[in-house]
Amino acid sequence: MKAGSAVRLPALIAFPEPAARAEGWGRFEELSSAGARLSTMTKLSSGERVLLSFELAGEAFAQVPAEVRRSELDGDGYCAAELVFVDELVRRRLAKALADVLSRS
Amino acid sequence: MATIGLIASDPSDAQSLSLLAGEAGYLVCGASRLHEAVEILRERRPKAMLVVDEGGADAETLVREVLRVSPLLPVVVALKKRDATRAVALMRIGAAEVIAPPWTRENVRAVLAKTLRYQGTAFSVVRAAPRRSPHFYFFAVLAFFAAALGVASARRAQRLAAEAAAKPSSWELPYKNPAALAFDSGRLWIADWFAQSLYLHSPRTLAVERVIHYTAETPVSLSFAADAAWTAVASGQIVRHMKDAKLTPVQRYKSPGTIAVAFDGLYLWTIERGDKRVRKRLVDAELSVAGAYRYPGLLPAALTWDGRALWSLDAGNRELIRHNLERPDEALERISLAEYADGKYRPVGLAWDGARFWTVGERIPKDSGPARVFAHPERR
Repeated sequence: MKAGSAVRLPALIAFPEPAARAEGWGRFEELSSAGARLSTMTKLSSGERVLLSFELAGEAFAQVPAEVRRSELDGDGYCAAELVFVDELVRRRLAKALADVLSRS
Repeated sequence: MATIGLIASDPSDAQSLSLLAGEAGYLVCGASRLHEAVEILRERRPKAMLVVDEGGADAETLVREVLRVSPLLPVVVALKKRDATRAVALMRIGAAEVIAPPWTRENVRAVLAKTLRYQGTAFSVVRAAPRRSPHFYFFAVLAFFAAALGVASARRAQRLAAEAAAKPSSWELPYKNPAALAFDSGRLWIADWFAQSLYLHSPRTLAVERVIHYTAETPVSLSFAADAAWTAVASGQIVRHMKDAKLTPVQRYKSPGTIAVAFDGLYLWTIERGDKRVRKRLVDAELSVAGAYRYPGLLPAALTWDGRALWSLDAGNRELIRHNLERPDEALERISLAEYADGKYRPVGLAWDGARFWTVGERIPKDSGPARVFAHPERR
């Protein structure tokens, strides 16, 4: 089940403490229960771990752990990153929230 | 070369961003205040608006106001202090993108390019149908006459039903000195200045369900927001209340002569008796006035927000006025209140319940009888 949206969901990008990196922000180009494609000015590297916080249809998802599978700079200088969500419980919760949103589209 | 607008109250910020955007290939039209930016939006039709975040509620207000005027225009906020939480919050309320400090040629160019390249929802107007053959028009005329007969009888039935439905509902109140009325989530509140009280009424029967008495002040106007209630009081203050059982006052603002208040979700609109001006106020520490406009009527008595437009009650001409939000001194619509034509009541309060206007009238002469509430015909 898939649907397009007129809105690109904003997300806050945090890093685990050892990384000592300042928080950034970006927008999801794609979001599924398994992972996401993110567009951001924050530079992300393959293999890097991030913590994403966002809101989907009123439900808050805080500090969702994800791993950067691929990252490349686009023509505008933005980082286009493919992310995979690594927490199974979050994936299930996200799947339920997405199913609810899609059922209402 | 694409034109972008820029709102920056600090001249050094304006110069810095203008230079960077110019180097990125954009023509910049600068403004230091919101009303100047609105002129730019109208006259120059920029492809995007760049707003400098000064902190506080300014950037949020600017984003909302720009989007209110130009809903499809991308608004980019330039932060002066890096704050990812604030950036996401601004994007949630409608900012297309947020530029982090320090502002560099690279990040300004990247953000503006990405913002202007993004294809959002496509809107279009359906064009007229192509030319048809003469036979089509012949049969179309025949069909028209056949339909006309049916339409005429349907309209007559509709008119009869509308006349029956148009009869307003009205109720007598158990008090004589109403000052204002307002709806809060379907519940009707009426202020009585003599009793210094707010009455909660059942919207179906108008029976009084609860009374809140204020010993120290006389409410003359009332408006509800999602998280607060606002009153104007006779002592020359605007009071913000908690939405608890007692509508406890929590903050007071000096505002001599305010006789009407209405909250539109972003601004608090007021009318002051002395100069009869409609004022648009920011909900900040001083309720700063963002604009003041001549009242386009005779005797303003009340204000209300119907979800999309600001309306006032003109007690002199016994009519409702719909105000142009960008130029509130311009009346876009006037609705005559036939219920007050006989002169028995003076309209003093106005409210909107989501589908229809309600007014409350004081008996003429004053104190000669109970007040009356009128529920006016539904607007479609």
